[in-house]
Amino acid sequence: MTAEQDDDRLPDSWLAAAREHHRPPPAPRAEMWDAIAARRERRKATRRNLRRLRWGLALAATLVLGIGIGRMGWLAGARPAAAMGPAAPGTAYRVVAAQYLVRTEALLTDFHAASRGGRLDPQFVGAARDLLTTTRLMLDSPAADDPRLAALLQDLELVLAQIAQLPGEPARQDEMDLINQDLTQRSVLSRLRAATPAAGAPARIQGAL
Amino acid sequence: MDEADLIARARAGEPAAERALYEAHVDRVYRLAYRMTGDDDLARDFTQDTFIRAFERLHEFRGEAQFSTWLHPIAVTVALNGLRKVKRLRGREADLDEGLEVAGMARAAEPDLKRRLATAIDALPEGYRTVFVMHDVEGYTHEEIGAALGVESGTSKAQLSRARARLREALADFAEERVP
Repeated sequence: MTAEQDDDRLPDSWLAAAREHHRPPPAPRAEMWDAIAARRERRKATRRNLRRLRWGLALAATLVLGIGIGRMGWLAGARPAAAMGPAAPGTAYRVVAAQYLVRTEALLTDFHAASRGGRLDPQFVGAARDLLTTTRLMLDSPAADDPRLAALLQDLELVLAQIAQLPGEPARQDEMDLINQDLTQRSVLSRLRAATPAAGAPARIQGAL
Repeated sequence: MDEADLIARARAGEPAAERALYEAHVDRVYRLAYRMTGDDDLARDFTQDTFIRAFERLHEFRGEAQFSTWLHPIAVTVALNGLRKVKRLRGREADLDEGLEVAGMARAAEPDLKRRLATAIDALPEGYRTVFVMHDVEGYTHEEIGAALGVESGTSKAQLSRARARLREALADFAEERVP
């Protein structure tokens, strides 16, 4: 016990009884260490897989965004020449990025609220998988030339990959807690909101592109 | 090997150093988690979460305080947040259990100090209970508790005093045993 001054100390018999309440057994050291090692290994494996998959999707990213730009260019080509700005091709990236950021913000905000209440709608997992694919496309596109957006996309990739890999029912609260921890520690939601266009505003990535 | 060396090696990703740090501190973390939860599964989960988070954040440890002083706020935060979630999830079930427990107590002919005290401790507000368990049960100092809870040590002292007052009130019929 402590040697601090203790004027209103409880009777010794009460303290002895209090120490019997929730009296811990010996710590199961080895079992807990094995569980810690397994969970850390799963998280490392997730990160490794993300890096491998990103390489595999690089070609697809170039193709999809190339088509997107081509379409935007075709649409722009139908307008009067005076209406076309010098940065018309960049508009394609902005539109794609804006839509993606808005959807991702909505998903992560809902996930954050729902998971803290211990609930996990399976739709979160499906939506995260869809957005994860787009994230990888974005990372391999010129949109990721912006260092701040690239850093945000990398964090989003990690968080979305973790949500996409969550098992179904029953929801693993500890896994959801770790995802929320990543969201908080990396300030993902606040950075995402800063990069997302305001509702009703033109599709523009504030400071990110 | 001293702890600073262990931490440096753990930061460099050396598994043996991480394991040694874990072995040096796991008992106290688990004890606190168990005291706060009274449940082995929850205590294990919270202990594991504590070390996973600690290893992930090890680069943030500056070495200005003891490693245990840095680790225990993580343990307390994990346990308190985890308990709040469990309480929300089990809210209705807990209400039912509580009702049954109260009814059972009313039928008891001879009130038992241990049981009455256990019920009174569990009924303390979260902040009071945490400080009482840490100080009077597990022997943490007010400075350690203040660091773990992110409050001044004076706040810890005040909360302990209120916790003890609540317990005395709840166990008034045992008051003759009070220390003069």
